[in-house]
Amino acid sequence: MDLEFTEEEAALRDSVRDVVEGISPPSVVRAIFEEQGDASEVWRQMVELDWPGLAIAEEHGGVGMGFLELAIVAEQLGRAVVPGPFLATATQFAPAVRELGDADAQARILPKVAAGQLTGALAVAERGSWRLDDLGVAAQATPSGDGWKLSGRKEAVLDGATADQILVVVRGDAGLGAFVVDRSQVVVEPRHIADPTMPIADLVLDGIEVGGDAVLAAPGADREARVQRVVEEATVILAINGIAACREAFDMTLAYAKEREQYGRLIGSFQALKHRFANLYLSVERASSVCWFAALTIAEDDQRRSQATSIAKAAVGECQSLLATDAIQLHGGIGFTWEHDVHFLVKRAKVADALFGNAYAHRARLAELLGVAA
Amino acid sequence: MKLSFDDSVESFRQEFLEWFAQNRPTPEEMAADPKQSSAHVPEWCRKWIGRQFADGWLVPGWPKERGGRNAGPIETLVYMEELRKADVPRSTNPQGLGIITPSILDYGTPEQIEKYAMPVLRGERTACLGMSEPGAGSDLASLSTRAVLDGDHFVINGQKVWTSGAAWADFCFLFCRTDPTAPKHKGISIILVDMDTPGITVRPIEEIVDRKHPDLAEVFLTDVLVPKENLVGEMNNGWAMANGSLAHERGMVWLDGVMLLEAMVRDALAEAPAALDRKHPTERGALTDALMQSYIDSVAARCLGYRGFAKLVRGGNAPEQALMKAFDSESRQRLALRMSELLGAEALEFDQDASGYMADASWLELYFRTFASTISAGSSEIQRNIIAEKVLGLPRG
Repeated sequence: MDLEFTEEEAALRDSVRDVVEGISPPSVVRAIFEEQGDASEVWRQMVELDWPGLAIAEEHGGVGMGFLELAIVAEQLGRAVVPGPFLATATQFAPAVRELGDADAQARILPKVAAGQLTGALAVAERGSWRLDDLGVAAQATPSGDGWKLSGRKEAVLDGATADQILVVVRGDAGLGAFVVDRSQVVVEPRHIADPTMPIADLVLDGIEVGGDAVLAAPGADREARVQRVVEEATVILAINGIAACREAFDMTLAYAKEREQYGRLIGSFQALKHRFANLYLSVERASSVCWFAALTIAEDDQRRSQATSIAKAAVGECQSLLATDAIQLHGGIGFTWEHDVHFLVKRAKVADALFGNAYAHRARLAELLGVAA
Repeated sequence: MKLSFDDSVESFRQEFLEWFAQNRPTPEEMAADPKQSSAHVPEWCRKWIGRQFADGWLVPGWPKERGGRNAGPIETLVYMEELRKADVPRSTNPQGLGIITPSILDYGTPEQIEKYAMPVLRGERTACLGMSEPGAGSDLASLSTRAVLDGDHFVINGQKVWTSGAAWADFCFLFCRTDPTAPKHKGISIILVDMDTPGITVRPIEEIVDRKHPDLAEVFLTDVLVPKENLVGEMNNGWAMANGSLAHERGMVWLDGVMLLEAMVRDALAEAPAALDRKHPTERGALTDALMQSYIDSVAARCLGYRGFAKLVRGGNAPEQALMKAFDSESRQRLALRMSELLGAEALEFDQDASGYMADASWLELYFRTFASTISAGSSEIQRNIIAEKVLGLPRG
């Protein structure tokens, strides 16, 4: 197993980082946090660079890269708290269409995504859970005339209030199914959350009637495994996005400890802080190493991908809970101010942790996968 | 990045496994004559070392005449992985083979190589490493065992402690102060000392586990006369060599700790479900959650090890290496603690006569045993200082 970037991968990472610094500098992020800007210009430039179709097949107008490349982009987006529809559209909606839709549906939807003409969102969670069993998906699809009636409530949908289309995962008599509806068809309840660059909304499916063209995958017994694959992709991307925010917050805090003096010495020379930094660093490295392992299991469709996904998301969750606290605490008073940037990173890490299951949820899932817990 | 090794590495693995199947010591002969110390090579192991040496599998990275086959680092890693999987040590005197012999080969004279290094490579002699002292543990450079050159001999006086295998070793790779006026790192030399030299007394230290099979010992040296040609390398250059010797195969030292952790996790997962079934749901949830953290530790340890290793192989720096020692030893400690707490009163067994083989030990014993790793060779606290200062660049306090 080789968990170090090849030269090509490192070059992609570096060029994405350069682009991100250009199109989404801290001033853009701050403006969104201060409700004085939006992400439209960031997205326009990403579209110009063909990023929406990065991992969409060439036959559908995409660039045809793989999951690893998508993860490399997601990492840089986390590091700079980049706003915009990329995560929801390119790492959740488009993979779901690819995995769940037939050739016609893919040909209908993916070229528009690749061209930047269509944004999407993926609605899975209910009642705080991203599980696909009865504890999770309860929203219903029932046959109605030539089409279907969808009813229920979806929660914490990334870009749920802004995406053009929503891919909803619902339960029918035969099992899980997936439908693509226009945002105008659902009742949107936007939420004001800690990181406004990751806007989420709750969506009410108020018994809406949809035709056959909304069916991506009609309810069926074999759907759950495919939805699971989509959820795993989105989960690993969020884990990588979150750990990148953690690492940046760590670097920022470390730099502060090397310049801030108290009692006539740099605060980073105190052993109490050194040991905390060592623990934080270990936690960041621990999580990031399993994130890339998970990304590889998905990229290579390895049988360990389900386990690796939960391991990665849990490890990042463990890291952010340690790091969020210390990144603010070790900055002292300045870390508690709106003026300092570190809280943007901490808030991104918090949101990335909560979406698609936090550390507790994923340790529980891991225990199930390992047969330790029923 | 990729999950697999290149085909050439896999065929190397196959070649080793085929040889290993024909030449390995049998579990029966190993169990019949277990090692009594980290410097005890039982007869089966002596023969096993000889077979490895003859066929170039003892230190694959070395040339043929030194028991190797000029294998690359990735091949060596794969080889170590397979040995650990089979639970067969290369040698039952690991510090002799892994640390002391390479140092003598690097810095020693042809005579020293002939008399001390090669016999270890043939399984005929064993060695111990004389470093720690009562006043020099984590702060090794402040050691005070004194060697004074007097004509053709060094006269050595002092005391070592925590010397693994001292009661069984044939010779000691001894760190001594030879210039008390120089700054503490610059007055240290390394001398090869036969353990049967008059003036040496070894007193084994009973440990909190395996009381009847002490491996650690105190070594008292009183007017010990050692020929001056036993000086390894240059006078007063011992500290630099220490860093060299501890760096041997340094890209791979993590592997043993990680594979031990993985083996413990496998045992824990096999044992835990039945015990969890008997618990109240609240306990079951909390204990399962803690156990999963350990499982994640074990996967992360392997990933970190591989990632650091990949960086080293490409000629870069690998900060991961500095993390591994504290991480894998503390991970093992946490897991053993969690399992002993999970099993509660069922896991209190403690066998003072145990032969020292992990497989028989209770989780509580394993927990105590892990302190050997979190304290020795740079305690976890020292490791954190090293990470903070050397890797993260924080100023010395």
